[in-house]
Amino acid sequence: MYMKTKIILLLLFLLSISGFAQNFTVSGVVTSSEDNMPIPGVNVIIKGTSIGVSTDFDGNYSIQVAKGEILEFSFIGFKTKSITVDNQNLVNVVLDIDVESLDEVVLVGYGTQRKADLTGSIVTIKSQDIEKTPTANVMQSLQGKVSGVQVVSNGSPGDSPTVRLRGIGSYNDNNSKPLYVVDGMFYTNIDFLNSKDIESLTVLKDASSSAIYGVRAANGVIIVKTKTGNLEKKPVFEYDGYTGVQYAQNVMKLANAEQFTTMAYESGSQPDISFVLNAMQRYGRSRVNPNVPNVNTDWFKEILRPGIIESHSVGATGGSENVSYSVGANYFSQEGVLDMKNEYERFNIRSKIDVKLSNRFKMGVNTVFSNATKYNAENAAWFNAYFAVPIMPVIDELNTEASPIRYSNAQILGYRGTQNPFPAMDFNNNQLKIRKLLSSIYFEVDLIPEKLTFKTTYNHDFSALDERYVNLPYTLGNNVERISGITKTQNTYSNQIWDNVLTYKESFGDHNLTLMGGTSYRDEASHSLSVNGQNITGIDYDTSWYLNFAEESSIVLAGGGDNGSRIYGVSYFSRAAYNFKDKYLLYGTIRADGSSKFTKDPWGYFPSVGAGWVLSEENFMKDNGIFDYLKLRASWGKLGNDNVAASSGANTINVISTDIGDVQTPGITSTSTFTDNTWEVIEENNFGINIGMLNNNLTIEADYYIRDTKNAIMPVFVPIINATVEKNSGEIRNQGFEIGINWNKNVSKDFSYSIGTNLTTLKNKTLSLTDPKGYIDAGTAEFRQRTIIGEPIKAFYGYQTAGVYQNQAQIDADPIAVANNLVPGDLIYKDISGPNGTPDGVIDDNDRKVLGSYLPKLMYGGNIGLSYKDFDFSVSFYGQAGNKILNRKRGEIIFTNDTNMDADLAINRWHGEGTSNSYPSSAGLRKGWNQKLSNFWVEDGDFFRIQNIQLAYTIKGEKLFGKNMPETRFTLTADRPFTFFNYNGFNPEVSDGVDRQTYPVPGVYTFGVNIKI
Amino acid sequence: MKNFKHTFNISVFSLILISFLACSDKLDLQEGQLNTGDVDYTNTSEMIQPLIGAYNAFATRGWEEYLLLSVRGDDVNAGGLGDQQDFANTDLFNYNKDYWMYNSLWNLHYSDIVSVNNAANLIENYKAFAGPSDAAKANQYIAETKVFRAWLHFNLARVWGDIFIINTAIPDSEIEAGVATKDEVMQYISDLMDEAIPFLPDLRPNERTDVKGGVTKYTALAMKALANLELKNYQGVADATSQIIGSSKFSLYPDFYNEFKKPGELSNENLLEMQYSDYDSGTGDTFYHLYAPFGSQNWTPARANAESGWGFYEPSMKYIKFMLDRGETVRLETSVLFTDRGIAELQTDPAYATLPAFVSNTTREGDVINDYARALFASGKQYLPSTQLTAGRNNYGAGKNMVCIRYAEVLLMHAEALTQGATSNVMSADQAVNEVRQRAGLTPISGVTTQQVMDEKFAEMAMEWGTRYYDMIRLGNYSELSYDGRTFTADNALLPYPQAQVDALPLEN
Repeated sequence: MYMKTKIILLLLFLLSISGFAQNFTVSGVVTSSEDNMPIPGVNVIIKGTSIGVSTDFDGNYSIQVAKGEILEFSFIGFKTKSITVDNQNLVNVVLDIDVESLDEVVLVGYGTQRKADLTGSIVTIKSQDIEKTPTANVMQSLQGKVSGVQVVSNGSPGDSPTVRLRGIGSYNDNNSKPLYVVDGMFYTNIDFLNSKDIESLTVLKDASSSAIYGVRAANGVIIVKTKTGNLEKKPVFEYDGYTGVQYAQNVMKLANAEQFTTMAYESGSQPDISFVLNAMQRYGRSRVNPNVPNVNTDWFKEILRPGIIESHSVGATGGSENVSYSVGANYFSQEGVLDMKNEYERFNIRSKIDVKLSNRFKMGVNTVFSNATKYNAENAAWFNAYFAVPIMPVIDELNTEASPIRYSNAQILGYRGTQNPFPAMDFNNNQLKIRKLLSSIYFEVDLIPEKLTFKTTYNHDFSALDERYVNLPYTLGNNVERISGITKTQNTYSNQIWDNVLTYKESFGDHNLTLMGGTSYRDEASHSLSVNGQNITGIDYDTSWYLNFAEESSIVLAGGGDNGSRIYGVSYFSRAAYNFKDKYLLYGTIRADGSSKFTKDPWGYFPSVGAGWVLSEENFMKDNGIFDYLKLRASWGKLGNDNVAASSGANTINVISTDIGDVQTPGITSTSTFTDNTWEVIEENNFGINIGMLNNNLTIEADYYIRDTKNAIMPVFVPIINATVEKNSGEIRNQGFEIGINWNKNVSKDFSYSIGTNLTTLKNKTLSLTDPKGYIDAGTAEFRQRTIIGEPIKAFYGYQTAGVYQNQAQIDADPIAVANNLVPGDLIYKDISGPNGTPDGVIDDNDRKVLGSYLPKLMYGGNIGLSYKDFDFSVSFYGQAGNKILNRKRGEIIFTNDTNMDADLAINRWHGEGTSNSYPSSAGLRKGWNQKLSNFWVEDGDFFRIQNIQLAYTIKGEKLFGKNMPETRFTLTADRPFTFFNYNGFNPEVSDGVDRQTYPVPGVYTFGVNIKI
Repeated sequence: MKNFKHTFNISVFSLILISFLACSDKLDLQEGQLNTGDVDYTNTSEMIQPLIGAYNAFATRGWEEYLLLSVRGDDVNAGGLGDQQDFANTDLFNYNKDYWMYNSLWNLHYSDIVSVNNAANLIENYKAFAGPSDAAKANQYIAETKVFRAWLHFNLARVWGDIFIINTAIPDSEIEAGVATKDEVMQYISDLMDEAIPFLPDLRPNERTDVKGGVTKYTALAMKALANLELKNYQGVADATSQIIGSSKFSLYPDFYNEFKKPGELSNENLLEMQYSDYDSGTGDTFYHLYAPFGSQNWTPARANAESGWGFYEPSMKYIKFMLDRGETVRLETSVLFTDRGIAELQTDPAYATLPAFVSNTTREGDVINDYARALFASGKQYLPSTQLTAGRNNYGAGKNMVCIRYAEVLLMHAEALTQGATSNVMSADQAVNEVRQRAGLTPISGVTTQQVMDEKFAEMAMEWGTRYYDMIRLGNYSELSYDGRTFTADNALLPYPQAQVDALPLEN
């Protein structure tokens, strides 16, 4: 805000310069390439002279020139452009943003800083980079764009992607969410924001940059700024919309009826064979292969559908002498690709008004209201579709007992479960109404003009989440009957933050100093109530989906019942930034945080320091011919994480009820696991370099960091008690290298292009563990993940296969095979170790090893943009490598092994010597020996994806029916159209690496229009 | 004027600062959580609540626990291959330490030991503030939790042999002490019951009014008998059972068939019983055990929409033939649900070509057990006729209680102890066996031998908690367990420790 005022003042000054008479007059409009809006106050001078003018508020200029002279257009934050005047009278100029501009200002938390002064790692993403992605959640559009940021897509409409900054700072993924600061308010989820309403996202990656947010900053901070108006700017009305369709990509092939039947026969299991015979009896025999039932259901195909996506925004931005405003509304809707009531709809209204009361006094109000309705997918459908046998149709007309629809039921064929995913999809209605209101007000006063400013801000985030889960009644034959029921959960959240900030700026000689100090008070309250009722009268009408219509005796508290929490926080923080001659930079912050969550010791202190050296400002580097800009940076910071279990210091009471003599009798149980935890602390060193070369067309920003989480809180399994406690258990390190390279070039007036790539490496490692065993187990006993010193956290842990036994001779020759009664078709495991650390000819738990981590070792992204006349074309890509996925869909065969599987598993099975040296036989798949967690079940998660392709055409300055046509832009977008991977699943994006039921990430194809008046 | 403005600014600023500082004292508040330290222990009227919590922990059992405890006996099979193959392999004495059921049985039993120990600690807290009569009550409640602790240890030691003895809620030092041998555990149980007995009510469980069907002195005595039986301390068995028999409080429920249905719940025969109910309401809260694994996979219930089961618990052909050979009626009818396919399979043996009328796929209540692939027979003792389900409730066996210790078992333990050389002046072995036989509709016998008692016990206790299997292990009678193609050897007696526990505890397989 402060910078803006400064800029405007500067413009006023420049305006006063007037030009001299020349040969002829050239005039035109100067606009910004960023938003195609006119730029007022652009300095237009004739090169080599001091003659010049400035553009007016509509970006118009007019100047007298002689033929052959060069006009130079310059403006702060934009690249200077030179145009040689021929004899044209009209010269319209588009200025490009200068990304490496010295005066570019970035948000740094409770203030701003010049980008040139930064010593940490901060990346800003502007609206035009966000808007290309058709998505409900703006974080999705960051995927592959920013080094060091991992975004794991979530295909389910309205659900948020998983976002990780620089690896995983806290053991528990849920505690590793970055903090979003939306216009000053803290969020862990910004699903309520519309991408179009966002002006910029600023990612504070290193600890030094984010330390000003202290205890909430452990997992990095993303500052979100919503659109703001500017003083003295004509109102602009804008419509922006797109509509399109989504298709599930890379749909996994399931075993068909013939493959499934073959597997059943080869399993040697009599019941399985009889189930197939039952299916043949019931549905007839296939005419192609009479040994296969005459049904061949592809369940994935059945449950999928194309989904419609659309978004419409209207807004107005502008400002008068004393008031600036940005207001707007947005409608967004998205259908899921699962063929049920699965959709997301959101309506947003926002307004931001800033009032200049006097030269020294400002105030403003900001409101974002979001009203969304989400119908959750029945996620078990993915799982059921994978397992449902293909020898059963979706609808079974013979199943006359099923109502209201004659869905098939696998129990009729003899299977244990009903399997058919459709009853749950059709007869469950999962509605979530999500209403969020963010409102804030601020007052700002210049206590000492231009030097000392005081700002007080009050933010309130009020959210209400109403969940309604309706079970419609149905029967499915074989005595499967479900009675109607409703579960309602109402959650309200009321979070308040009150910030007071004093900022002092002083320059003396070559010394520039900015000091900031402030306080922040937080109050986070939540409440939830969950009630369940059954036998709803009039269940067929959604008007009676209220518990008033439930059978009275059936109404009980459900789930969490009625509970709430309230947490208070008090903080003091301060920052000092100093630069000498724009060459030497020093930076430091400190924050003291008190949190009521840690009752024993509520206070934590989080300091940070940073230093920078702008080599290109040194005399010895002047005119070096290579570097236009060169800066070295180093920083250190310490952060806290209060997202983790509080001092979990107490053992707690649970209220239960049990049957005593047919009377429901209340009682209590208590836990005995408790620990006294201390703050989880993150310490990070960051080293960075910024390079501008080739007239700043080439920019490189690279960082190397080491990020250690000390006193890491990990869930430790307590045997005997059979509980898991959150306990300070060791130290985790994330380290990596990040680089972003951008090349921008305006080849001619009509043609420009840009290329950008970024690359991130990540090494996640456990440095130490307090547990004397030297490891901490995670996952389940059957699908073990283990954290071992020196290895990534929660690494998959199991046996390593070395092929498949091919024949009896091989079995007879291998004592391991003999000892374990193995047969051809069983997996061969590597004898890695025995109790003494050397192979011992026995396969047992000593032969287990780390099989890989779910965190990618390498992520890379890039984009290519071409602009020719009125056409723009861009392609971006994204990929990751080095991560593993536990194919738990397959692995669940250990729980139920007579159901279906994917085609790959069926086709590639061992079924005779030489048929496979990696897949076990059908009978083998059901054996405990082969079901041990091994690298057979853990697969590579590498993928490469074309992230986004967009073609745009802009019509500007044209006439339509004799009138000025508004500036109109048409876009065709394909988002995530192609993904390449080897993993045997739908989707290689599995945030925790365990793929049980993952919603497929659809490809999105849209057509969009943007009109500005 | 300028000065005033300055003063104004500064005073507004200070006001904000002061009001901000006032917020700091909120840091000590915590909402939405009740800590054990916050309970009002002076209110002894609430002292029963942790005890009820212990009953809840005891009765909250995973479906796989009962199955895994008992599947290895010659009375019952796992059903066919296919679903839960390693469960079937366990039945065939091929053990897989990675199999989830093993780990689950271990975890759930031990966590409930800790849970009942926690309850005892809470009761201790109340006791500290209690007057004399409430203190006596506290002692009784604590003694009740000891019986649960004993029962859970008993199962674990039977399955794994050497196990940890856990007497506290924070068992770090007990884990460090390492495992105790099976005999040490059984002795510990016997001693623990001696500790508990003086404080327990001298009542039949169904006579209790505070906790109807709860633990009494006689439950503890039965537990003591069971532990001493494992120790082959037959005199100890005879002494404990003599006290139960001598109290004259217990009698066999006259109708063997209905002892295992709703009418037999909380009968005079039951010494320890897990109670389940839907409180006779078709909607609202329920407290159920998942009986589906015991049920047939396919049936036509007499009452519409009653759900069938999974077919994981199949009475063995050996048992059925044994019962037919003995001329058993009601005990066979109660213990086995027949399918047509099972009956046909039985009749392929010419000796069983003609069968009594009750061998039918239709139960007394009219539930028709249809053929299903997995098994030939389903278990009857865990079967609740669909007509006894509460209207609106469809789960298999919904709301049926599970009896853990019956007076019949006490009588037969008594008889066995006497045939093994122990003495009692309360009841003879013949009397004990004949009391059981009489209810089963069999003629009395005299001069019973140990073999006859064990046969009687096989007939009476089949499909209940693996009693048969552990009897055969104790007596070293492995040939009985080597049936239907199985070969049992001594090293099959115990399950291997679950891998997840070996990873977490000082254990070695």
